[in-house]
Amino acid sequence: MKKFLYLVVGVLILIFVLWLFPEPMPEYIPERDYIDMEAEILESFILAKDSSVIQLPEGHFLFSQALSLDDKKHLTIRGMGMDKTILSFKGQVKGAEGIKVTQCKNLIIEDLAIEDAAGDNLKISDSDSIVLRRVRSAWTGKVSTKNGAYALYPVLCSNLLIEECEAIGASDAGIYVGQSKNVIIRNNKAYYNVAGIESENSSNIEIYGNEAYENTTGLLIFNLPQLTVYGENIRAYDNTIYNNNIPNFGVKGSIVSAVPKGTGVVIMATKNVTFSKNTIRDHKTVNLSVVSYELFAADDDPENTTLDQEAENRGIRSVDSDYTQDVTYNVYPKDILIHENAFENKFSFPTLSNDYGILMFMKNKMTIPDIVYDGILPKNIPLQSPEYKICLDNNGEINFVMMDAANDFENFSNDQTPFDCKMIL
Amino acid sequence: MMKVSINVLYILLLLLGACLDAPKVTNAPTAKRVVPIQPLLSQKTNEKQKLSEYGFFEAPLSDLIPNPRVYSYEVNTPLFSDYASKKRFLYLPDATQMEFSPTASTLHFEKGSVLIKNFYYPTSDGQERIIETRLLIKEKEGWKPLNYIWNEEQSDASLNYIGADIEVEWIKNETHIQKVNYSVPNLNQCKNCHISDSDITPIGLSIAQLNRKNPLLSVDKNQLAFFQEAKLIKNLPKKNNWSKLPVWNNPLTGSVEERAKAYLDANCAYCHSPKGSAKNSGLHLNYTEINTRSRGIYKPPVAAGKGSGDLVYDIVPGDPEHSILLYRMKSKDPSIQMPELGRSLVHEEGIALISEYIQNLQKK
Repeated sequence: MKKFLYLVVGVLILIFVLWLFPEPMPEYIPERDYIDMEAEILESFILAKDSSVIQLPEGHFLFSQALSLDDKKHLTIRGMGMDKTILSFKGQVKGAEGIKVTQCKNLIIEDLAIEDAAGDNLKISDSDSIVLRRVRSAWTGKVSTKNGAYALYPVLCSNLLIEECEAIGASDAGIYVGQSKNVIIRNNKAYYNVAGIESENSSNIEIYGNEAYENTTGLLIFNLPQLTVYGENIRAYDNTIYNNNIPNFGVKGSIVSAVPKGTGVVIMATKNVTFSKNTIRDHKTVNLSVVSYELFAADDDPENTTLDQEAENRGIRSVDSDYTQDVTYNVYPKDILIHENAFENKFSFPTLSNDYGILMFMKNKMTIPDIVYDGILPKNIPLQSPEYKICLDNNGEINFVMMDAANDFENFSNDQTPFDCKMIL
Repeated sequence: MMKVSINVLYILLLLLGACLDAPKVTNAPTAKRVVPIQPLLSQKTNEKQKLSEYGFFEAPLSDLIPNPRVYSYEVNTPLFSDYASKKRFLYLPDATQMEFSPTASTLHFEKGSVLIKNFYYPTSDGQERIIETRLLIKEKEGWKPLNYIWNEEQSDASLNYIGADIEVEWIKNETHIQKVNYSVPNLNQCKNCHISDSDITPIGLSIAQLNRKNPLLSVDKNQLAFFQEAKLIKNLPKKNNWSKLPVWNNPLTGSVEERAKAYLDANCAYCHSPKGSAKNSGLHLNYTEINTRSRGIYKPPVAAGKGSGDLVYDIVPGDPEHSILLYRMKSKDPSIQMPELGRSLVHEEGIALISEYIQNLQKK
């Protein structure tokens, strides 16, 4: 009884504190002095032939329409640096993207910034051998749901390198790789996005040396149903993922809008993931969670799920309640290895702004877990069956939670031993 | 006093009107126009900057009177382009000929040949205003599209790669003043319609389209016969075997169904045919297609997205209102409308024809 009273008082005080200090949304306001070289730059994109180099000078260039490249080989688009060559699509009237690339091969885009497109800043689809290097993709001003969905958005691509880039202010994901294979995402920064970095339905992915901070969530490794391909073989290491606690400003109904703020990393419904030597710290809901798609689908509030057509046309993924129809889709995380990571948290109490925080508050002694596993498995498959194993090794002193979400948290547990690699391997 | 106040009221009303009429303010910032000091692109182009440099027409250029080796041609059923009229010409280099081949859908042209299509509108002063001239130039590697936009004075046209939106006021049926925001395509957009397999290809230069009279060439002769006699075309089949596309708006040339199919051939089949860019849709509207499902009848859409308008079939016989095909012809929403490019107005006469055709189709 006394415990319960403490709880109630605690909750009330926290709510009061939250009410007193509403969280400010971050803003990115660089100084801009726009010039108009639209005709010439548009012309250079249209006239570019195989093996052309488009060299863009210094300046803050404003565009009224999207730039596009289709079916080109060995093309280079080069600026004078991400602080010097700025391509701004603020107030564009034609096209949704900033730069749209389709069916290219051996393309390099480097040393420039792309800003404020109506939709995605840089979308690359059906392309092969692509390098994005030192590209800053941002939405300026206070972060907003009206910002475009994806800052750097390669989809259905292969052999892709994204390095030393920055993604700021995306209303879905900053650096987003979808339905692609053979991808390296290294030494990038992502901040002020809903999701900092996301690998979705992609295979053979290396994510290392990146920094993701001040997003709603830092890193998502997802498989979503009803898409052309499903991902596997993902290694994420040497990343620093911290303080991803900004309020979720994703479009209602989108899959990322279902991720609670203060979630460092989510590994969902993917197989063969190695997550090692990362630093994950200071998240108000959880540092790292390993979950099945069922958790998202269960969370699926019918009011929130109807993503409007316009958002869907922009490629924003919604929660799909028909996922069980897709027999090729694997709903559960499989073969997840988590070792030698450093978990820390400067926050003591979980946020009460979402169900998971409240759950941890109630069930996890008011502490924020470092690793959460939902424990949801197919019917009649016991925990840690070989195919579905989750294994933890050498992650220091961590606050571990197995939620047992499928059974109303009946076997909610902090015991790590069933997940100890040494016990399994 | 009364008069003054009425005047004031009038002025206020005018001001109000002006405010309501004011263009929609976008949140785009302003930007000073700057030209690059260094070229942006590593390679140079060597295309002619002005249409006059080609020497296709006598002076004054805007009369479009062809020089030798430049010949007018007409098609039976043209593509609708926002009610623009078209004057078409072909240039054949000395001693070259067009060539018919039974395996190709289009006549073959030799290197250096140019197809010239002028888009113009009749204006309220009884004149014509030419907006653009599109060229397809046959080079060693294949066809190359280029566009020239005419100046206000109509003295010449300048090379344009990036497209343009041009406000045009014109007269429909010699009585109605109309306005159109005419869209000149950019170079990439040319390919959207002119691609077949992966090559740029002329549209409309087929026996079926050219099999007609053309008073600009000859008052009494068939156009193809004229070309044949002038030795401008070779390997033509016997005249009895020339196929002929009906003229979409001339009932003497075919039944409603035949004319509707001709209209769909000219307006849709450059993409919607087995080699066109919309082949994945499974909807084939080329005149020669005989499979009714491929022609859209009781055919569900494949990748139409919201373009389907929540309708079930491309064509529902007897029910034009529930046919996706007509729904998309009627739309002016860029994400729904068909054709996707080159149309900002609705083609009322075309819709009437297709509507009648669908209405007449036998229900299952």
